[in-house]
Amino acid sequence: MTLLGIAWRNIRQRLLTSLLTALSLALGVALVVATLVTGGIVKQAFESGSGLGYNMIVGAKGSPLQLVLNSVYLISKPIENISWDFYQQFLPAAERPDGADGTFAASTKTAVPICMGDYFRGFRVIGTNTTYFDRLTLGDSRPFAFAAGRNFRDDEFFGGVLGATVAANLGLKPGDPFAPTHGADDGKVHDPFMVTGILARTDTPVDRGVFVNMEGFYLQEGHAKPVEGEESGERRAEIGKDADRAPDDGNQKHEPLPFAQREVTAILVETAAIPGLPGMPPLPAELTAMGLRTTINEGRDGQAAEPIREIRLLLDLFVRPLELLLLLVTTLVVIVSAIGILVSMVGSSLERSRDVAIMRALGARRSHVLVVVLIEAVLLAVGGGMAGWVLGHVLVGAIAPLITTNAGVSASVLSAAPGAELLLVPFLVVLAILAALLPALAAYRTDVSKWLQS
Amino acid sequence: MATSVLELTDVRKSFTMPGGEQVTILDIDSFCLAADEHCALEGRSGSGKSTLLNVISGIMRPDAGRVIIDGIDIARLDEARRDRVRADKLGLVFQQFNLLPGFTALENVLVAMSFGSGRPDRHRAVRLLDAVGLGHRLAHKPAELSVGQQQRVAVARALANRPRAVLADEPTASIDPAHQQQVIDLLRNTCTEQGVALLVVTHAADVAGQFPRRVRLEDFNRAATVHHP
Repeated sequence: MTLLGIAWRNIRQRLLTSLLTALSLALGVALVVATLVTGGIVKQAFESGSGLGYNMIVGAKGSPLQLVLNSVYLISKPIENISWDFYQQFLPAAERPDGADGTFAASTKTAVPICMGDYFRGFRVIGTNTTYFDRLTLGDSRPFAFAAGRNFRDDEFFGGVLGATVAANLGLKPGDPFAPTHGADDGKVHDPFMVTGILARTDTPVDRGVFVNMEGFYLQEGHAKPVEGEESGERRAEIGKDADRAPDDGNQKHEPLPFAQREVTAILVETAAIPGLPGMPPLPAELTAMGLRTTINEGRDGQAAEPIREIRLLLDLFVRPLELLLLLVTTLVVIVSAIGILVSMVGSSLERSRDVAIMRALGARRSHVLVVVLIEAVLLAVGGGMAGWVLGHVLVGAIAPLITTNAGVSASVLSAAPGAELLLVPFLVVLAILAALLPALAAYRTDVSKWLQS
Repeated sequence: MATSVLELTDVRKSFTMPGGEQVTILDIDSFCLAADEHCALEGRSGSGKSTLLNVISGIMRPDAGRVIIDGIDIARLDEARRDRVRADKLGLVFQQFNLLPGFTALENVLVAMSFGSGRPDRHRAVRLLDAVGLGHRLAHKPAELSVGQQQRVAVARALANRPRAVLADEPTASIDPAHQQQVIDLLRNTCTEQGVALLVVTHAADVAGQFPRRVRLEDFNRAATVHHP
């Protein structure tokens, strides 16, 4: 019988105590694993979002972080709207009614307007135009792909594209109608739109978005900007006679909302590289962005924020410290669980002392009994740790739908934080050895003759 | 006469009492046990029997003198080496049997083997238990065995590492008179079969009377005479 066998037999001898000790450790480890994995997922969510195919967001003056959270991550509230004229300044002559380049057109490669404020069964509705999916790309220059259907056309005022999570959660498919609500899930129900396409999964916040043609978005009640001499919604009254119609099938024609009554919530901007002077290299897009940001922020029409910069700030200022705090708390839970090993072993020290004395009388060396106690602790730590590891992943699997819905990234029982998880078991083993040192030393010092006589 | 398996020469062992007083427990000029000898060692309570067994088995180190087990003076060895000699050369049987309660009969024998120089031999452990009539109780834990069966496991365990001598400390003290004779017979017969010397410490005259050699500790331990008149 090996020392490992003796240690295992000792654990089985105190089965209930051993199981409770391992269970306590398992719960602690499960918490740590769940925290590590979900923390990694959240971080991944932010990092993936900051890698979308645009490098600047222009919105109303206010918190740049709020602008980024709202526009990129589809969380938080929109600040305010910016004017349609301001948006037009990012467009080239070909896309402007006056046939002249906008003020910022030279610095802009793509400018995608977004309008927000509506919801559809818990998901954000984003009014935009076809350029969102036609011109923007994912972070690694991959174009958006459709799992089913296609992008809405410019003239499909009531066409919409659903993110993968939205479609999966709500069971919608191309051709299905859906009616957003105004301002909140329980707000006034708008006219229905029709699904024209379902996006392939991107593992970005886009998966949680309901994208509708902004022309249809503008025609909803309360979406037209009041203009002098008119009440908000007056334009809506004009089309009120169509309120009970079926979702737009592309054939019905609607009058678009006049530009004077339009606003946008934000503009997703991909800056352009500006040609340099003759013989000089072009100005890189990043430098263009810096200049454009400064110009916009010095003006009064709005602000420009760089998503990557804001997210790095958010990660550094809030997410990482929060992650560290959670990790600290859960590590303390594991340490308390490890102390459970100590308590359990000290609690059984009386019984153990007699067994140790017997083994010593049979010829066991002090080092043998010390090692047996340490092996017991390591077995409990590894057993409890592995059980906790599995439990932690089951926990993540259980909350995966919640993570996917709220963070826009896919999570499952197999989601992992490989680096930290690999360190967990060695950490536990060291912790268990430290916790078992006291009872191990007590075993080492057991007075054989005293215990045999008693 | 066969060669000695145990030789004690000029062995002294003292303890310091809580008040600081030095009390000598063992003061032995000479004591030998031959390789195939069965000997009963009698002694009153407090005569130093347990201390003597602890010194012989290497659990305690004498203050002076030589304790030679199968040619090795264990009084000169460090504790780890004394432990190894105890595991390899001696088998111990205790008054309370001292079986490991969480281990089966077979495992109690295998545990003893794991501390010796050889590798644990499951077949030998089974044979030993079979020899003491417990071949059908291998997987039983001590609590599931009768007192007599527990003592048999203790005897099998003492012989696990092919020892040169078995030291039994009051092996019949905890057993009812009806079973005492069985235990003595078991010890003597098994040790005879295995060619192992046997030293039984007892205060029971009827037990001591069954051994070919019978010695009183007070007769050769001067400390017992001085301190326990």
